[in-house]
Amino acid sequence: MADTDATTEEAEAPAVDERREVILASFTDALGDAIVGSHIAVGRQLWVRVTREAWFDAAETAKNRLGFHFFDWLSAIDWMPSPWGRYEDAAGIDEGIPQFDPDATFETGVAGGDTRFQIMCRLTNIRRHTEPHLNVLLKADLPTDDLRVASLVPLYAGANWHERECWEMFGITFDGHPSLRHLYLPGEFEGHPLRKDFPLLARLVKPWPGIVDVEPMPGGADEPAEGDGVAAEEDA
Amino acid sequence: MGLVESGKLPKPLTSLLNTARKYSLWAYQWGLACCAIEMGAAFASPRYDVMRLGVIPLPASPRQADVVVISGTVTDKMVPAIKRLYEQMADPKYVISMGSCTNCGGPYWDSYSVTKGVDQVVPVDVYIPGCPPRPEALLEGIVLLQQRIGREDMADRWRGDPLVVQ
Repeated sequence: MADTDATTEEAEAPAVDERREVILASFTDALGDAIVGSHIAVGRQLWVRVTREAWFDAAETAKNRLGFHFFDWLSAIDWMPSPWGRYEDAAGIDEGIPQFDPDATFETGVAGGDTRFQIMCRLTNIRRHTEPHLNVLLKADLPTDDLRVASLVPLYAGANWHERECWEMFGITFDGHPSLRHLYLPGEFEGHPLRKDFPLLARLVKPWPGIVDVEPMPGGADEPAEGDGVAAEEDA
Repeated sequence: MGLVESGKLPKPLTSLLNTARKYSLWAYQWGLACCAIEMGAAFASPRYDVMRLGVIPLPASPRQADVVVISGTVTDKMVPAIKRLYEQMADPKYVISMGSCTNCGGPYWDSYSVTKGVDQVVPVDVYIPGCPPRPEALLEGIVLLQQRIGREDMADRWRGDPLVVQ
């Protein structure tokens, strides 16, 4: 049965994903204006972006009303492009120490985004006997000067360690978390390593040699033509 | 013991003692990453048969070990455990650093969490390069360690570093 459905979907490529449209409508019904962005990849994925205040309510709706009982994972995104650029490469060492631009706008994902940090979690409905299981990807923007959001631990106990990791890697505080302490990093670690502006000190001390051992693809545009090689030899 | 303290251990006796020690190496396995697979192949498989070199790879605790093989990626969070492990071992004790990660950080040389060489923490006797080294490389490292033990002057070792008073 499932196989037949998948084949039909592939062959006809329906533009409307009814199952996910229904779920999105339920979210809109429950949360109203708190939903600030959404996207459906037909047959694959549903993104729902909510306000920070509605983060917990969105998860509660997903769990108690829509049956997303399985907590898959939780993490965050730093949308800022790496301010280090090629500074850490040997090739870019002459460009000097990069300047950070706090007002820059960032390119964000399909569900949109307004701020640098975005928190996301993936919930799965494992009780529906449909294949593949339905997922929803919840997202919320966090203002850079106040990285706080409600903890999902009262709802999903499995969120505990994910939020601890997110806290130490991105510096996002989870209100209501039972014990927000280091999970992977040593206790005295300073900084948040998964932020884009976290400096890799080893690279600042010894510049990364860069991509030196990658050969061009045969027939690719980067491959020097035969004539160039001959010319270079003649020059030499 | 009186002979040792006076620093006049006869050469044949030193040689005998060292030969006995180097063919009875109790090796503690401290596997941290993929190198531990190669270490397991070398230590636990009949194909490489490490016991023919006089290595017994199954001490029950660090206190019964002569040598520890640290193989894999040492992180800053693991460092206190390694320090403690080394302190728990009884002297004379030796350390084999196996693999690029343990030697210098390896491919994680720029990571925020990886220690750039376990020799920053404990003294290392033999470095085994490779990513990961083959089991034969570990066997060669053990042979090198045995050569080192064979040439050692136990009297010097037991006296330790000279106490210098300013």
